[in-house]
Amino acid sequence: MIERWQAIFDHPILWLELRRIHRKRWWPGRRFFLFYPVLLGAALGCGVMSMLDDSLGTRLAALVTSVPLVCLVGVASWLLNFALPWIAPTLTATSIARERELGTFDLLRATLLTERSIVLGKLGGCLARLWPGILTLALLAPFQVLWVVAGGSSGLSSVFLLADSMLDPGRPWMWSSLLLAGLAGLLRPWGDLALHATVGLFVSALSRSSGKAIAVSYGAILATRVAFYLLTSLLNIALLALPVALLDTPEAAMNELLMMPALTSLGMVLVEFVGAALLVWAAVWWLKRT
Amino acid sequence: MATIIETRGLTKRYGRLTAVADLNLQVEEGAVYGFVGPNGAGKTTTMRILATLLRPTAGEAWVAGHSVLKDRRGVRRAIGYMPDFFGVYGDMKVWEYLDFFAACYEIPAPTRRGLVDDLLELVDLAHRRDDYVDALSRGMKQRLCLARALAHDPQVLILDEPASGLDPRARVEIRELLRELQAMGKTIFVSSHILSEIEEVCTHIGVIEAGRLVAAGTLEEMRQRIQAQRVVRIGLMARAEETMAWLEGQEGVLEVEPVEPNGAGDLRVTLAGGDETLAQLLSGLVGAGFQVTAFYEETGNLEDVFMRLTKGIVS
Repeated sequence: MIERWQAIFDHPILWLELRRIHRKRWWPGRRFFLFYPVLLGAALGCGVMSMLDDSLGTRLAALVTSVPLVCLVGVASWLLNFALPWIAPTLTATSIARERELGTFDLLRATLLTERSIVLGKLGGCLARLWPGILTLALLAPFQVLWVVAGGSSGLSSVFLLADSMLDPGRPWMWSSLLLAGLAGLLRPWGDLALHATVGLFVSALSRSSGKAIAVSYGAILATRVAFYLLTSLLNIALLALPVALLDTPEAAMNELLMMPALTSLGMVLVEFVGAALLVWAAVWWLKRT
Repeated sequence: MATIIETRGLTKRYGRLTAVADLNLQVEEGAVYGFVGPNGAGKTTTMRILATLLRPTAGEAWVAGHSVLKDRRGVRRAIGYMPDFFGVYGDMKVWEYLDFFAACYEIPAPTRRGLVDDLLELVDLAHRRDDYVDALSRGMKQRLCLARALAHDPQVLILDEPASGLDPRARVEIRELLRELQAMGKTIFVSSHILSEIEEVCTHIGVIEAGRLVAAGTLEEMRQRIQAQRVVRIGLMARAEETMAWLEGQEGVLEVEPVEPNGAGDLRVTLAGGDETLAQLLSGLVGAGFQVTAFYEETGNLEDVFMRLTKGIVS
């Protein structure tokens, strides 16, 4: 097991990219890492306060003090959720195609590196270049979890803030829905990132020109996103219409109404991860075939 | 000597175009095999198949006993490949470049440091160890690429046009390096258009045209092959035109032409026949009263072999 992990981290292509990153000094500085525990501590404090004292005044105070934090973290999360998956294809689409343009790809393939190793190394290398964003996104995840657990008073989306104020928090359906939606919200950017990055990688494995690879990758991603959007909308309509039509009690219908969108979101995230894995496999298969 | 590279019925087609057709090739261990042919003859395709970068449409090839179809990893371990067009990672330092490729050949990190220094010594780039690859001249990059191909101490080197685009000094350096590698016991399979360069280092030659091997053998065998038609140079004191007329009437003489365009001085005679014919021709010339100052056979070089064997089909 240890040897396997060592083999992953001893990967020459990954080290090549890390050397380049180190040379370009892509490092946010120590202040960033001092700032982070302070931020997380403040959020934790707000969450604990709201959990311990259920009075309206305390919750309101916690809410007011956490507003700047919510704004800061919320905006940062939103920006990263959007930016990372849309930057990644530029890097992955140029990875293998650029090696072909430079004439270094044949040199790599003539070594003992397998096609799978080259593809995974390239993917790892590209993601490593995005490390400040990926690290920040990972560091923001505890805030989202914290807010869901502490009462959903902020964080994931305004829908849950609304749901929290409208519904009785004691009901298990609501909490399950919130947790599932929270989980989907946490995993969504990673799913987007994985899917977009691997689309770029797959196109790059097929392409001889990095310019074309970028153009085709973004075209394919846009098409995929539209397809996802349509599919999710259709699924949601179908799943929301079903309980209203079939279930007898309004309470059961409301439970379904809460649960289904969360399940759909989670399902889509799962599809993204499976799609990413399939694209990596397809890129390896293509390289082996040629 | 054991065969280290072998192809049987090797064929590669790209749609309607046949790049390599039924190629049967054998390279002995320790040989420096010059793979000669005009542009588009199929040299690079053959080399890419041997380097496991292309799959043949039909046929099979083995390098150091490993099949290029069934044991690609074994082949890659046995060969060091240098393509005709290769890129370098310009943003890496020279030592980093070699270290990276040594890592790609699964050489453990503690061994790599010493290895990189040894390779740099071998290709005479030790003084540029900490420079960026982009700062090297083309000749130096070529040597660096050769060092990269040697990182895992391969048995066979497959070098596609290693001297192309180099200035005369860099060519000489590459040639010296090839000699050194030959002395180290490496088998070298090398293609080049600069035939005189190959001639000086290679022990065997294979001539390929339109994807087919038109001739193969040792350098000596190839020379003997073209000596079926011998070219003799005759130096004369005077009466060149008279001599020409006399020679044209002799048995075995195929062609007589003056070396100088104005017709004066030496003559070049192409004739069919062995040493006996040569001796008869010389005694006949002297007997006829021509004043011969020189009489010697021009040895065929690789360029002659190439020109006689190929028809310029692809070109």
